[in-house]
Amino acid sequence: MWGMTSGALTRLGYPIVEHTLENGLRVISSPDHIAPSVAVNIWYDVGSRDEEQGRTGFAHLFEHVMFQGSAHVASGQHIALLQAAGAVVNATTWFDRTNYFETLPTGGLDLALWLEADRMATLLDALTQENLDNQREVVKEEKRQRYDNVPYGDVMELLNTLTFPPDHPYGHTTIGSMEDLDAATLEDVHGFFRRHYVPNNAVLSIVGDVEPEDAFERAEIYFGHLEPGTKAPKPEAGPMEALSGMPRTEASDKVPAEAVYFSWRLPARGGGVFDALDLAFSILGHGQTSRLYKQLVRGTEHAEGTSASTMGLIGGTSFGFSYARARDGISPEQLEEEMAELIAQLLSEGPTDEELRRAKAQFERHWLHELARIDSRADALGEYATLHGDPRLINSRIAEIAAVDNDDVRRAMQEWLRPDQRATLIYRQEAS
Amino acid sequence: MRDFLPRPAIAPAVVWAFPAPQRAQLSNGIELMTFDLPGQHVISAHLVLDLPLNAEPRDIEGVATICARTLDEGTLHHNGEEFAELLETEGAGFGVDLSLSGAQIILDVPASHLDRALHLFAEAVTEPSLAERDINRHVQLRLAEIEQAQANPAQAASIAFRAAVFEQSKRAARMNGGEPETVGQVTPEAVSAFHRDHFGPAGATLILAGDLIDNPIAVAEGSLGSWHNDDQRRVMIEDPTPAARRAVLIDRPGAVQADLRLGGFGIDRLDPRWSEISVASYAMGGAFLSRLNAVLREEKGYTYGVRMNFGPLRRGGSFAIQGSFRTEVIVDALAITQELIKVDNVPFTSQEVSDAVAFFTGVSPLRYATAEGVADQAATQILAGLPDDYVDRSLALLRSVTPEAATEAYRSIVDPAELTLVVAGDAERLADPIRALGFPDLEVRPAASLQQG
Repeated sequence: MWGMTSGALTRLGYPIVEHTLENGLRVISSPDHIAPSVAVNIWYDVGSRDEEQGRTGFAHLFEHVMFQGSAHVASGQHIALLQAAGAVVNATTWFDRTNYFETLPTGGLDLALWLEADRMATLLDALTQENLDNQREVVKEEKRQRYDNVPYGDVMELLNTLTFPPDHPYGHTTIGSMEDLDAATLEDVHGFFRRHYVPNNAVLSIVGDVEPEDAFERAEIYFGHLEPGTKAPKPEAGPMEALSGMPRTEASDKVPAEAVYFSWRLPARGGGVFDALDLAFSILGHGQTSRLYKQLVRGTEHAEGTSASTMGLIGGTSFGFSYARARDGISPEQLEEEMAELIAQLLSEGPTDEELRRAKAQFERHWLHELARIDSRADALGEYATLHGDPRLINSRIAEIAAVDNDDVRRAMQEWLRPDQRATLIYRQEAS
Repeated sequence: MRDFLPRPAIAPAVVWAFPAPQRAQLSNGIELMTFDLPGQHVISAHLVLDLPLNAEPRDIEGVATICARTLDEGTLHHNGEEFAELLETEGAGFGVDLSLSGAQIILDVPASHLDRALHLFAEAVTEPSLAERDINRHVQLRLAEIEQAQANPAQAASIAFRAAVFEQSKRAARMNGGEPETVGQVTPEAVSAFHRDHFGPAGATLILAGDLIDNPIAVAEGSLGSWHNDDQRRVMIEDPTPAARRAVLIDRPGAVQADLRLGGFGIDRLDPRWSEISVASYAMGGAFLSRLNAVLREEKGYTYGVRMNFGPLRRGGSFAIQGSFRTEVIVDALAITQELIKVDNVPFTSQEVSDAVAFFTGVSPLRYATAEGVADQAATQILAGLPDDYVDRSLALLRSVTPEAATEAYRSIVDPAELTLVVAGDAERLADPIRALGFPDLEVRPAASLQQG
């Protein structure tokens, strides 16, 4: 049994064992024999915040190149071999990280480790201009499909620009710009690989039907003789002050409904203030009992949808967002006013005890869900080891959130969510 | 330099079986299926109702969706906000899923809160207020949701594809949540009548999966066992039939990409060719290096990804090749696709078949290792009329598929010359070149979202 359920709180006790290889690769094992499967997950401590000027989108383009083969693996074969072993395979890039993962029957564990080690060791041996060019086109298609060709697809970019200075590590999106993608060269790939794709900049999590000693032994076999590298320093970005001057911008496009978005700078994730703000955003805009939904969707019926959430980041400063999409005949300015008033009200009154209890209960279910699968549990271990230095934190998150009280939420809001601390984006329908 | 280690072999898979449910019956006849999964702290509860969407009157299609979405807006015992607040305080998530074959009302809740949350869940299902104001709002929200869907090229293409591939009198041809013309006609009276006529215990199954710390039979009986509805009418499910092939271009002037759907009428899981077509479609458009993706993504860089999907219904179904391609290359991508989907001279190989079998066999234990995964699959099986050991049986059938049988099944279902085409993209640049590819009958339509205001 890994969880004790007592009263309102589930206390988690997933077994977590950590071991660092001589080359600095951190290996985390968490055995779970519920299914004959194993999740292999590598977090590299590199994301779009580590990109250089003029190379936005590069960390993500690099992630694609990682599937184009290495010294002993042909292009495309990384996924093909794993799928033929019954694996679900993928990778993602975000502001603070790039993660690569596969979950498969336990009998394929050696293959997965061998493939990950081969590209960590020898990616550049197989790199060609043709492969880079091909994946550049694939990434541009991804950008078109997910951002350029869908309604509101540019919101994230607009909010990034509003919230951070252009040269700040979080001042551009992970997908980057077409121009910068075009400018990427083979030399960029070489440099990025040497700076960031070294064993001492990675966390390998092995979760599932394998015992820790076995997991560590296999990690040693496949990764033990890789040379450590020189880790690139993290971009210099101390904590930023909250926004001031109420920055504001407008966009218009062929969208079905007009909308208003707010964004805020928040403190970095990892700490009581961020957790208190996370609960505040939940109370404000998560679910149908949230203040925004109750008032704007159910109450005045001025909005067809509302939301508020945080995006926790580690590099000094996080993001917070909220939005409301207008029903016909309601102007975004009117919604802006109503949303601002609801936030001000929560800030001055603080949440009710009931609201805080609900937000915590919803967090608990979300977190239990997250850890229910071995693949997402492996990812959470990599996340907490990479960003906070301790994978065991996944077992104490529910208790940490439970410890936040009403005053914590009110104080955090009064410091970070005052009316003059937000940015505003108005999204209009293009006249046709 | 590192030593070179040879590529490791794959150790044989451990024998695995889909968990077997415990079955019981509540006093009102509701079938109870429980899966005790220790360590799964979030319980997944699905109430599956024998309520095919063709039960909706034709002129108010969407009424089932509006009814389902209003269930948790308040009950006879707890007014709207109070109800949602009670449910959320239990850490519960409430959801509905309406498919052509039946309705699912879904509850996710931490194990220690199951009893209280299931009582609230039962209130929502059996005694919802269905207040006029809430119904009217959900009608408006559904209309707004349709506008959003039509503005999204991938969704617009999928909506147009189902309308083109199924015979138009059939419910399957139209969105599960209803089209604007009929959703707009849904009234509070109609929703109440629909709930009275079609929500009831007859033919219903309750699935509980997860770490069942309380006695699940007692919990289920205590919440749903006394539900009765003498007015409940059960409706036979309607089998869809294929429409004549057609080609449609939804105009999106200036779009940088075009969304493609190329496919036709398919088969269901009870068809003897199901395992064979599963293997064939994985080789054609399921694997990362499938015939389609290897060329259109990995060789040409035309797309972020292209897939071939089979969507089974209880009887019949549909299939489509789908992907988004930049406007400059979509015509070439379509021409290449037309060639790649022919298998007459390039039948599926034994390697393709064994890779597909290994993939499907390998992903199953993981997919069904969570409460959510098990409950979803159990519900799918009920709605499709499949036995409890369907997963094990279907994996055994997969293992016996031969390359010849996969090729033959594919050829019997996929006729490359007779496929229905839907493209959502820039008509000015695409219509003529697409016509020249063997679609002289291509109809160009304005995007639905641009027709309004």
